[in-house]
Amino acid sequence: MTKYILMRSFQVLPVLLGVTFLVFLSLYLLPGDVTLNLLGLAANEDSIARLRAELGLDRPFSVQFGIWLGRALQGDLGVSHVMRTPVTAVVLEKTGNSLILMGAGLAITVVGAALLGPLSAVRKDRATDHTVKTLTFLLASMPAYWLGLVLIVAFSITLPWLPASGMYDFITPGGLPDLTAHLFLPALTTAATSLAIVTRVTRAAMVEALARSHVTAARSRGVRGFRLLYGHGVRAILPTFVNICGLQIGYLFGSSIFTEVIFSWPGIGQQLYTSIIARDGPMVQGCVLAVALVFVLGNLLADILIRWLDVHRD
Amino acid sequence: MTEALRPPLAARFGHFARALPPQAWVGGALVGSFVLMAIFADHIAPFDPNASNIKLRLKPPGTEGHWLGIDTQGRDVLSRTIHGARASLITGTMPVAISAAIAVPLGLAAAWFDRAGALVMRMMDVLFAFPMVLLAILLAAILGPGLPNLIIAMVLVLLPFNTRVAYTEALSHREAPWVEAARALGTPVPRILLREVLPHVLAATIVYSMTIIGTIIITAAGLSFLGLGIQPPTPDWGLMTGEGRTVLNRAPHVATVPGAAIFLLVTGFNLLGDGLRDALNPGRQR
Repeated sequence: MTKYILMRSFQVLPVLLGVTFLVFLSLYLLPGDVTLNLLGLAANEDSIARLRAELGLDRPFSVQFGIWLGRALQGDLGVSHVMRTPVTAVVLEKTGNSLILMGAGLAITVVGAALLGPLSAVRKDRATDHTVKTLTFLLASMPAYWLGLVLIVAFSITLPWLPASGMYDFITPGGLPDLTAHLFLPALTTAATSLAIVTRVTRAAMVEALARSHVTAARSRGVRGFRLLYGHGVRAILPTFVNICGLQIGYLFGSSIFTEVIFSWPGIGQQLYTSIIARDGPMVQGCVLAVALVFVLGNLLADILIRWLDVHRD
Repeated sequence: MTEALRPPLAARFGHFARALPPQAWVGGALVGSFVLMAIFADHIAPFDPNASNIKLRLKPPGTEGHWLGIDTQGRDVLSRTIHGARASLITGTMPVAISAAIAVPLGLAAAWFDRAGALVMRMMDVLFAFPMVLLAILLAAILGPGLPNLIIAMVLVLLPFNTRVAYTEALSHREAPWVEAARALGTPVPRILLREVLPHVLAATIVYSMTIIGTIIITAAGLSFLGLGIQPPTPDWGLMTGEGRTVLNRAPHVATVPGAAIFLLVTGFNLLGDGLRDALNPGRQR
C-alpha cells in the first residue's frame, strides 16, 4: 500500500511540472502588456525597458520559467496588478471558501446518490425507479448557471426564504447558521449534475450487484430489506461508488465557478472570473494553479482510497 | 468484393433505426425541431431579433404580440431565442467534429508507435490535470472573445478526451487476430490502420461525440454567459442568460427563457446520444 502511494505520488510530479509550465505560459499568452499595466501614464520607451529588465522580462523564456517556478515553490506567486497585494494570500483564502462550497456539494452528491441509487435499484422498473431515472436525466442536462438562477427566482425572490448572495450576512454576520443558510442554494446548484451522474451509476452498479449469487444466497437465508441492501449490496459497489465520486471533482469545480459568479460566493472561481475581466495576469495564474493543484491532489486521494478499499475488501 | 456481400444501405439503416430505443426518437425529434428552428429562424421569428422598442422594456411574458416578453433593451425574447438556436447548434457540433478529426489520427498513431504514443498521452495527462471548464475559461481568456475563438477553445478542451477514446479503441485492436492475420500477410501498416482499425475507432469516436455534444453546448454557452464567448448583439442563449441576470428580480423571464432553451436542446442531444450508445452496445446494463 505504501509502495502504491509513493508510486502514484511520483507519477503526479511530471504532470504537476507540465501544469506549472502551462500556467506560466498562459501569462505570456494573455492579452495585455504587464509593463504598460504597471507603469500606466508614466510609460515611455525608456521606463518600459528599465522595468522589463527589473522584472527579468528581457531574459530567455526558460530562465524566466525557472525563476518563476523557484519562487512559486516557495509560495511566492507575485503581486496582483489590481489589488496590489501578494497573490498567494488571496488565492489561499478564496480556495478555502471554494472548498467549503465544493465540500458541501460533494456531501449532497454522496448522501443523495447513496440513498437514491440503491432505492431506485431495488424498485427496478417500478414507479419509484422511473421517477428517479427521469429526474436524474433531466438534472444531468441542466446548465448550472440556469439552475442557479431558477433557484434564486424560486427561493430568494418569489419565496424570500434564503439569501441569494455572499457567504455571510452583511449587517448581522453570524457563525454556522448564517453560513448554512447562504450555502444551501449554491451547494445545491454545484451538486446537481454530479448528483445525477453518481445516482445513475450507483443504480446501475446496484442492479448488477443484487443479481449476484452471494446476494441471492443472503436473501435465501432470510436477510431482507435494509440489511440486505446496505450489508451485502453496498459492499460490492463501494469501489465503483468511490471511483465515480472521485471523477466528480472536475464537474464540481466546473459548476462551482458558475455558482460562485451567480451567488457572489467569494471563492476561487469568482476571483478567477473577475481577474480575467480585469486582465490581472498574476492573479489569473495563481487561481488556475490553485484549482489545478486541488484537482490533481483530489484525484490522487480518490485513487489511493479506491486502492485501499480494494486491498481491505474482506 | 466485400461491398457486394453487404445488404443495401436502406436495409442497413432500417435495421439500425429499429435498434434505437424510443427515447432516442424523442431526443431526435427535439434536436430536429431546433435544427429546423435555426434554419428557418428568419421566417418563424415574429420580430427582428435586434429590433428594439425601448418603451416595452422588461415587459413580462404574455404581453400582446410578445408571448415570451421583452428583454433589457426592448427586444422580443421569443425572436431572440429562436435565432439563438443557430449559435448553440454551431458551438455544440463544430468543435466536436473538428476535435474528432484531429484526435482520430493522433490516437491511431499513439496506439501504433510506442514512443509517439507515450509522448502524446503524457501531454494529454497534463491537459487532463485541468477541470474542463477551467481549461475552457483560460483558453477563452487567452484567445479573446468571438465565435471562431470560442470554437477553437472548445476544440482544444475536447482534444484530450477524444484522443483517449481513439487511443484506447485503437490499442484494443492492435493484437486482434484479424490485425495479426493482416500483418502476417505482409499488409503495409498504413493499410492495416485504414482498413482494419479505423472503422472501429471511428465508430467509438462517433458514439462518444454524440454523448458529449450536450456538455459542450452547456460549456460553450457558459463562456458566453460569462462574457468570454459570443459577443452582443448576437442572439446567443448563454449571452442572453448572462444579460438577464442583472434584472433577475424585476424580470426573471429575460434570463430563464433562453436558459430553458439550452436545457431543452441539451436534453434532446443527451437522449439521442444515450440511445445511440445503448443501440450500438447491446451488452451494456441499461
